[in-house]
Formats: sequence, structure tokens, C-alpha cells
Amino acid sequence: MSSIAIPRPRTYERPVVLDWLTTVDHKKLGILYLYTTMFFFFVGGTLALVVRTQLAVADNSFVGHDLYNQIFTMHASAMLFLFIIPVWAGFGNYIVPLQIGAADMAFPRINALSFWLVPPAGLLMFSGFLFGGAADAGWTAYSPLAQRSGTGMDLWIIAVILLGISSTIGAANFLVTMFRMRAPGMTMFRMPIFCWTVLVTAVLQLLATPVLAAALSMLYIDRNFGGAFFDPNGGGNAVLWQNVFWFYSHPAVYIMILPGMGIVSEVLPVFSRKPLFGYKAFVFATMGIGGLGFGVWAHHMFTTGAVLKPWFGFMTFMIGVPTGVKIFNWLGTLWRGSITFETPMLFALGFLSMFLIGGINGTFSAAVPVDFALHDTYFVVAHIHYVLFGGSVFAVFAGFYYWFPKIWGRRLNERLGQLHFTLMFIGFNLAFFPMHLLGLEGMPRRIATYSDSFNWQTLNFISTIGAFMIAVSTLPFLVNVVMAFSRPKDQPNDPWEANTLEWWTTSPPPVHNFDDVPEVHSERPLFDYRHGSAASH
Amino acid sequence: MAAHTGTQHRQELSNGMLGFILFLASEVMFFGGLFAAYFIARADSPTWPPALPADKLAAGVELKVEFALPFIATCLLVLSSVTIQFGVWAIQKGDRSALIRWLFISIVLGAVFLTMQMYDYSQLPFRADDTVYGTTFFTLTGFHGAHVAGGIIFMTVIMVRSMAGQFSASRHEAVEACSFYWHFVDIVWIALFTTLYIVK
Amino acid sequence: MPVSRVPRRFRQAAFLLAIALFAISSISLASAQSGQPAGITVEAHKMHDLWIFTLIVALVVFFGVEGAIVYALFRFRKKSDDLPPQTHGSTVVEIIWTTIPVVIVITLFTYAFIVLRDVENTADPQDLTVHVQGFQFQWGFTYDLNDLGTNTPDRNAKGQIVITGTPQDNPTLVIPVGEPVEFTLFSSDVIHSFYVRDFLYKLDVIPGRDNKFVVNPREIGTFHAQCAELCGLDHGIMRFTLKVVSRADFDKWVSEQKVTQPRAVQQAR
Repeated sequence: MSSIAIPRPRTYERPVVLDWLTTVDHKKLGILYLYTTMFFFFVGGTLALVVRTQLAVADNSFVGHDLYNQIFTMHASAMLFLFIIPVWAGFGNYIVPLQIGAADMAFPRINALSFWLVPPAGLLMFSGFLFGGAADAGWTAYSPLAQRSGTGMDLWIIAVILLGISSTIGAANFLVTMFRMRAPGMTMFRMPIFCWTVLVTAVLQLLATPVLAAALSMLYIDRNFGGAFFDPNGGGNAVLWQNVFWFYSHPAVYIMILPGMGIVSEVLPVFSRKPLFGYKAFVFATMGIGGLGFGVWAHHMFTTGAVLKPWFGFMTFMIGVPTGVKIFNWLGTLWRGSITFETPMLFALGFLSMFLIGGINGTFSAAVPVDFALHDTYFVVAHIHYVLFGGSVFAVFAGFYYWFPKIWGRRLNERLGQLHFTLMFIGFNLAFFPMHLLGLEGMPRRIATYSDSFNWQTLNFISTIGAFMIAVSTLPFLVNVVMAFSRPKDQPNDPWEANTLEWWTTSPPPVHNFDDVPEVHSERPLFDYRHGSAASH
Repeated sequence: MAAHTGTQHRQELSNGMLGFILFLASEVMFFGGLFAAYFIARADSPTWPPALPADKLAAGVELKVEFALPFIATCLLVLSSVTIQFGVWAIQKGDRSALIRWLFISIVLGAVFLTMQMYDYSQLPFRADDTVYGTTFFTLTGFHGAHVAGGIIFMTVIMVRSMAGQFSASRHEAVEACSFYWHFVDIVWIALFTTLYIVK
Repeated sequence: MPVSRVPRRFRQAAFLLAIALFAISSISLASAQSGQPAGITVEAHKMHDLWIFTLIVALVVFFGVEGAIVYALFRFRKKSDDLPPQTHGSTVVEIIWTTIPVVIVITLFTYAFIVLRDVENTADPQDLTVHVQGFQFQWGFTYDLNDLGTNTPDRNAKGQIVITGTPQDNPTLVIPVGEPVEFTLFSSDVIHSFYVRDFLYKLDVIPGRDNKFVVNPREIGTFHAQCAELCGLDHGIMRFTLKVVSRADFDKWVSEQKVTQPRAVQQAR
């Protein structure tokens, strides 16, 4: 197998802090993204604990209603805009150029701009707490309610616009990188599946995020310039906000999950010792989800009376089909494999089961008359968290444990990883399964308290215990990471016997990524190299 | 700064140009969102323009636009697209001084367009808070005006770079990118003008 | 190449535990009325039937797929260092497991479409109409004396019964059983949502939009209801009670209301 030498750029010596502040290296930017987004994960998680403490018992007054509305708004905003969407930019930044055998992203300085928009946006959003109250109309900011919020709302709007810009220019960067900078022999259909999911995510980000920017601009104008976009008194339309908002925010949920599915699709084959079953079908299913994702937005609006319910119900059912195909392909990957259960695999398997539940409980809402009962109740909160936590967050941790050796040159301890997974898996189900029942019992979303006479307390209390268990489960993870950093960088290039090009180079990679790159003949160039091309077919 | 160019076969479209075109696609979606809001607001309103409350009627507010001046401004903007294209063709043949001249004319035309827009704003009998008609009008034309201003700055930078001799027949990608952006701004305006002034 | 070796007994115990958990959750769901109350209106009963059908499909799919996953994890765990067959995929299998979900979702959609058509009705003019106003943070219910349903004493009567709630005193909305009741929804501040758990239904109260719906109550009783769309500070306590009574009791209630509000006044909206 021949390999191609790569010219090395010059490197410069700089003081460490200045280096990190001015870097345009995709690996350093990726690490900065990971630190920043994990920080906001813990911030958002802490806010969740406040919510769960307030709801643990009936008629509670742990926090007042005003603060409660800010807390759940900022919980969701931090988790969605400051954690789950940019964390994929973090993994994508570090891994995509390595997986395609490139030395960096297509536009390194734009890349730096993308990252450096995130921390100030986060601070801006949270500064609302210091200016009379943070945004408090939910992360969905429905009109006309959002017009009545204080300055925190304007800060929130500007912050989200900044994050949208970061997302959009980042998306253009990923697309050009993947279209143009693949290693010799790597056709599009030999590109790693994680890269494919980042690609489709980038298309969604490029096309959908600007619509959110438009919506937020309109909200800002209504709030600050007497605009009447959403004000019926001025001839405007309150439901217009929901249409423009969800036109972005529904594709956004696929932005939040697809790269996670990509990570799972990398991990399952490695630890089953066989290829991803149906790679091409998987790629098409991903594109299908991306495309269909633009056509279902009004399923968030079935109870407004203002949307064409049969059409959106039908489209929502249809999007279950490519999603199901993916689950079956993952099952097909496990089938007749040779499976081991290292921590990345534990989280990937957890993803598989929890996302299955999340996909199924979403199907209930696709049946419009069923949604009439479930909409805006805790059933939907259960759905959201099964796909976003049981799904995306588990995938984040799978990615962490899988790529930690590559990024930092050390292995995370297995026992602590297993402890983390076990506690998090149990805590997660304790926290969110009862919410299905609470929603069916009639508990609406976003209520600061509930009466003892409704008999919701037992399930709420169990849910709160689960939430704290999730919090506790992060301790072995943090301890594991800290301990790992105190060990020497001793990891080989390919500790997992994996399939893709990032494992060809050292752990961590040199600044220029590769001294040479093997020629690519399939979607598993490392496997081919280890076993000789004949074994891959 | 690519280590290698991988498996690309066509080099006509560079990485930078591809990235710029993708950026323009996102801009199309931004204006798309604003246009969608306009059309939905219009479809939902019992009358268009919507009825004004009594106090605004008494104060002399009217929800209408005049045609003549904006039409002239539109023609000038379309002309500026033509002139910048002449500039692109010029530098493709290596004619640097022609490029500079055509850029200058395009900048002037763009600035005149903006000036006429601002004058038009001052003469309009309604404001952004006068029903959703006023809000959509000023939002759409306002964001467009901001993009025109951005385009004028872009063209000025390109003109200065041309004067510094940075472009040639074989290296003038930034000029092409600038012309794409300017054409985009022009096309958005034609759509806006048709929607707001012709179809009403 | 490190391998995680989980002791056999532990794995067996975990497997049995998983089975037990599934069994417990299924039984408890089934016994708790399949999770969802059956509802008190004709429309709710239809929507509840759809829920049951969807639940059965969901459980079958879940146990089938999850069962296959759990089985695979046990059956195909690593036993030797030999590489397993490197199957890349199978077009036939892909077609099968694309077609079956399409059939399932089309079935679900068709049933859902039929139920949707059946539960969204328009009211007849002689049906009782309750005008609901949602405001931050309570409810108001207005009955026109000339529009009280089957037993309207005087179809030319002027005057209204107005019930307005306060946070300390949640209002009670009274309707008769056995005849259609129409609700019209109005808000002049922000979006609220009119949600009665036992209707298995909610409809948003949107400023500038005339939302309305009709139900046919079939059960007498007292039922909890509250706002289901975030509307500001006290959204969480924007509650009311629905009371479904016999027609006779409803007529009695009406005459009591007229007595307590002898000078009910036409309200301009």
C-alpha cells in the first residue's frame, strides 16, 4: 500500500496563552470548543437541578415563579445553543480533517472566528441575570409573551444571533473542507460516516440558521421599535413567530442529533469488529432525515388551529422511516459481530436503546389527535430528553471516551468509565421515564409548581432523585479526566484497532496532522492496512 | 492552506469561491425568512394594507409608497450590476485600469441608490410602527440597505486592492466574489421592488 | 488489545433484571389505564382508542427491536480473536426493513387521519356555547342566556352569566352532560392554552385568532384543568375546574347564577 508524503508548514514558538488565544489550528480550536461546551453542559445541568428541586415536592417555594421561568429558559438555552450544537463543532473540528487525511480545515481563520463567537455569546446570554432578569419566555420565546420580557430577552436575542453566525460560517467551512480536501482515493462514498453526518448537519445549519436570524431580528424589532410582526393589534400575527421559529428549530433538532449518530456509527463497528452495516443506506437515510426535516416544523403547532394538520402529521410519520432504517443498520452492525464492552461502546449501546425509546415516544405526537393530549405536557419533556440526553449526550460521552486517547494521548480508566455509564444510565431513566406518566396524567410543561391534590408528587420526586443521580454520575467522569491528565502521554496511534484515518497518525497528532497518508480504497482505510485490502470485502 | 487538494478534478471553482457561494446561499435563506414573514402577514391580514387605528389616521399616517423615485433608484442599481460585470470582464482580460474605472462607477451608483433610499425613507407617510405593513416594509428594505452598504465597502476594498496592483488576468478571485455579492444584492432588490412597489 | 470481561453470572443476572423491569413497566402501564385516562367525551374516547392502538404498535416495535439488541449483545459477544464475517450490508434486508416501517406509519397515519376528521366538528347554532377568555393569569367564562343548549328557556333573552377566576379562587366551568358544548377562545394579552386533561384535548388561546372547538361530554364529575402554554409569571397556577352535571342540575345552576347576577350586562369585546 503506497502512501503520499505531505509538505510540512513552518511552525512558530509562542507563549502558551497567546498561542491558544490566536490559534487557527483545528485541533486546538476543537479542544477549546470541547472545554467551552462542557462548561455550559455543567451550567445547564446545574440549572436543571434547580428545576428538579423546585418540582420535587408539591406546592414548593424553593424558587419563586419569576426566577423559575428564567431558570428553565436558560437551562434549555444553555443546553441547546451553548452545549449540544457547538459540541459537534468541537468534535467535528478536531476529527473531520483527520478522518479525511487533511492538514486542517479549509478556512482556518474563519474557523477561529466561529469558535470565538461562542464564549462571548454565552456570557451575553447569562448576563441577563445581572440586568433585571434573564430571558424567561422559554427557549422558544413565543410571541406575544416574549415582547413583555425585560432586557434579558434582548441580550438573549443578540447572543443567539451571534451563535447563529458562528454556526453558519462554520457550516460553510465544514462543507468546503469535506468537498475539497479528502485524501487521494477517498471518494465521497469512502468518507467516514461521522464526516457524512457532519456534512448533512452543515447543510442544515447553512440553510436553516439564517431563518432563525430573520425571526430573531423580527422579534427584536417588535420589542424595541414598535414593530407589529407578531402583534395582532398592528395587523400582525402571533402564530407567525411560531412558523418562522420552528422552520429553523425543527431542522435544528437534527443538527443536535446527526453528528451523535455519526459517532455511534464509528464506535459500533470498531467494537463489533465488523463494518457498519449498510453504509450507503445510512448515508441516504441521513440525507433523507435532513431533507424531510425541513418539512415537519408545524408538528410543534398542532394545537394552534392554524396549520395543515394532516400534511405535517404525515410528514412527521415519514421521518420515522429513515430513522428506523438507521436503528436497524446499527443492529445489523452488532449482528454476528464479535462484541466487547469498553466504555465508548457502553455509551453507544446506551444511545441505541434510549434513542429507540425517544424515537418511539415521538411517534405518538405524530398522530395528531394523540398530540392534542400530549402537547405541552411532560410527555414531550420525556421525548425531548430521551432523544437529546439518552441520544445526543450519550453520544457525546461515547465520543469523549473513544477519541480521548487520540486527542490527549492518554487512556481514560475503564472502571471509572463503567461507573460513570452505569450511574448515568440508571439516573437518566429514573429522571425521565416517569415524565411519560406525568404527561399522561395531565402535568403541563413549564409550571413552577403543582398542587398536592393532583397526585403528581411521587413521580416528580423519583424524577428528582434521577436528576441528582445524573449529577453524581459526572463525578467519576471528571475524576477520570483529571487523573488521566496527570499520566504521561503513552497511547499508541491506534489503541482501539479502529477503521479510520485519524488512527493512522500519532496520539496526539503533530501540528501538521500527518507525515504521510495511506491510499484509501474503502471506508475503512486503517482496517484495510491492518488486514491487507483483500480482507475488507 | 491545504496540505493537498485530494480528489478534486475541477479547479475552476476554488475553495474560497465555493465557501463564498455557500455563504451567499445562507444569505438567500435569511432574506427568504423575511420575505416569508411578509407574505404570511399579508395573507393573514383581512385587507392589505391593513386598517389603521383612528389616532394614526387623524395624524395623517398613510400606508402607501410612491413609485417614481424608487423606480429610478432601481434602474441605477441594475446599472451598477452591469458596470461591475464590465469590470470583471475587464480584469479577466488583464485590463486593470478599466476594472478600477468600472468599480468606481459601480460604487457611485450604489451610493446614489442608498442616498435615494434614505431620502425616500424621509418622505414616506408611515413608520416602522405603523401596522405590520410599515414593519415589514422597513425591515425588508432596511436589511437590504445594510447589505448594499456592506457591498459598497466590499467594492471599495476591491478597488483599493486593484489600485495597489493586486489583481491580474489569472488572479482576481476576490473581484469575482465581490461581483457575485453585488449581483445577489441586486437580485434581492428586484424581488423586493416587485413585491413592495409593483404587486403591493 | 484490552477486552472487558464481564463475569457470566453477572451478565445472566443483568439479563433477568432487564426482563423483570420490562415486565413490571408493561404491567404497571397496562393497569394504569394504559397510562392515559379514558376521557369523558365522545371525542376523547376516540382519541384514547387511537392512543391504545399506537401504544400497542409502539410496545411491539420496542420489545422487538430492543429484544434483538439485547440478544445480539449476549449472543455475539467476543469469544475469540477471530474476525467475524465482514458483512457490508444487504440490499434485500434494507428493502425489507424500509418497507415494513413505511407500512406501519401509513397504517398509523390513516387511523389518525380518520380520528382527526371525526373529532374536529363544527357546532350547531343551538348548541351551548361557552366563551372562554384567558388572561394573565386566570380564566373567564361567559354564557349567553339565549344560547344555553337544549333547554334554553328563552332564545331571545338578553344578558350573560360571567364567571371570572382569581388566583386565590379558581373558577369552575359548569357544563351539562349528554349534549354538544362549544368553547370559543379569546385572549387579548398573550397565548394561553385551554387544556382539560379529561378531554384529552387542548386548544391554544391566541390573541387575534378565533379558535373554537366542540365536545360531547358523556360523564358527570369534577375535573381538573389548567393553562398549557407558558404565559408568564403565574402560568403554573392558572388553573380552573370543570364540572360536568346533569341537564337538570345545569338548569338549576343557571337559574342560581341569574339570581346572583340580577343585572348581567352585555359585554363589549
